[in-house]
Amino acid sequence: MPKSKFIFTTLMLLLVLAVLAICDLCFGSTNLFSIETSNPMFSSILYDIRLPKTLTSIIAGSGLALCGLLMQSLFRNPLAGPYVLGVSSGSSLFVAIATMMISSIHVSGFFIMGKSIVTLFSIMGAFFVTLIILLISRKNKSNVTVLLVGLMLGQILSAFQGLIEYMSNADNLKTFVMWGMGSVGSTTLQDLYFVIPIYLVTIIASFFFIKPLNAILLNEQYAQNLGVNVNALRLSIIIISAVLVGVITAFCGPIAFVGISVPIASRLFFKTSHHLHQMTFCLLLGACVVLTADVICQVLSSQFMLPINTVTTLIGSPVVIYLLFKSKLSIG
Amino acid sequence: MIEITNLEIGYKSKGKHNSVFTGINLTLSAGDLVGLIGDNGIGKSTLLKTMTGNLAPLAGDIKINNKPSAQFTAQQLAQLLSIVVTEKIGGFNLTVWDVVATGRTPYINIFGKLSPEDEAIVTKAMEQLNLLPLKDKLIDELSDGQRQKVMIAKSLAQQTPIIVLDEPTAFLDHTSKHQLFSILKKLCAEQGKLIIVSSHDLELMKAYINRSVTMEENNSLEVK
Repeated sequence: MPKSKFIFTTLMLLLVLAVLAICDLCFGSTNLFSIETSNPMFSSILYDIRLPKTLTSIIAGSGLALCGLLMQSLFRNPLAGPYVLGVSSGSSLFVAIATMMISSIHVSGFFIMGKSIVTLFSIMGAFFVTLIILLISRKNKSNVTVLLVGLMLGQILSAFQGLIEYMSNADNLKTFVMWGMGSVGSTTLQDLYFVIPIYLVTIIASFFFIKPLNAILLNEQYAQNLGVNVNALRLSIIIISAVLVGVITAFCGPIAFVGISVPIASRLFFKTSHHLHQMTFCLLLGACVVLTADVICQVLSSQFMLPINTVTTLIGSPVVIYLLFKSKLSIG
Repeated sequence: MIEITNLEIGYKSKGKHNSVFTGINLTLSAGDLVGLIGDNGIGKSTLLKTMTGNLAPLAGDIKINNKPSAQFTAQQLAQLLSIVVTEKIGGFNLTVWDVVATGRTPYINIFGKLSPEDEAIVTKAMEQLNLLPLKDKLIDELSDGQRQKVMIAKSLAQQTPIIVLDEPTAFLDHTSKHQLFSILKKLCAEQGKLIIVSSHDLELMKAYINRSVTMEENNSLEVK
């Protein structure tokens, strides 16, 4: 892709992102335009509710889309993604375990400790599943097998999660079920002070792997011959993906669709394989998708919160199916 | 250029050495077009993988330009030796340009940005194999013969004095096979590259190669 086209596309996506972010800040149960800016309620709604929600949407969408891209490139499989490969399920199970533990040792009142433990467990769960999938993909080169194992693993982990939920008390169960539906609305500004540094470090770190990721699209043997340390690349991508998915899942719940579909849509739209371009586009497009989903949630349900998973899947999936049928491009 | 002494090749598994071939002694020079011949399973691909650093030798030495290959960093080795393997690549919007440009990986910055000089080298590599008209085509849209040419162009863009090709004629028709070997012969003659090719097609190879290495049963190696 020529440099000028890349810059133009990036600016266009940034513009769309800005418009969507403004819409997301304004729409909700209370129309922000109807309140005087001098009214204390205005700043309370804006800074305590809307801003954290908008920032969370951007972080969750861009982070999950980037993870999907990294996994699809590493596995050289366009169907890979945190949700499909069971990584999100790993996070969910470990979050369930952590929630139970916190509940039983009564530390949930301590914000940092409670959230930190949940986040740490969520990262551990994501790391654990990604590592298993990677080991299997090294033993068995078949993309279909890897995906099937990922799906099965997701089912097994979900069954364990169901068991934990069954044993939970009513309050924990309710909290956990709500969390499992996915939401960008339960994150506070205080949470974001914890999330944003982790998000930025992992995003920046992933840009240092552009060159080896471009090479690994050929295959591992070619990548090695081109000077890429394939084992180091694998480990780095696993760590980056696990941390990103873990943190996002801990705060927003397991969000479906974005991780797998945004990289596919990005390839179909922007017709490039270079990871500098794809990473940039996936980050922006992912953020736009989740912001759009959140805006739709607000518009459709001003009095109650629609689960974001419902919207991302119901609206996003048909779009990608349409694109796949319409396009003759090879996505993977 | 490549000097192999008492080489034992094979795989290490759970601490065990599964030897495939032993006692390989070879000296290959710049400008040679070497045919690696042998039955299926004899160890041709294992030997090529060991020479290229994809597999560690079980015993013995491989020297490139009088320096043990183990002493080269991955980056240095990538500037000395390039490969073309049988496995088909494709998907992910990879165009002919993208694939040939990966040949510059050992020379470019971490963000994968090609300098004007790198772009000129990639263009020249494609010119040499008449691939410029296909520059923006997707790899998936090419014939098997064209794909092999693209991978050879990637090797040319890598600017290595040694090129190793494992069964490059596997998916090619008669005409494409001859075209491929003509290109390889020209590269050896005009650019002094050492090219090592494994193939089952003995008659075809004999028409082009100037040296042959035949691997036979009982670790018997015939070098001509």
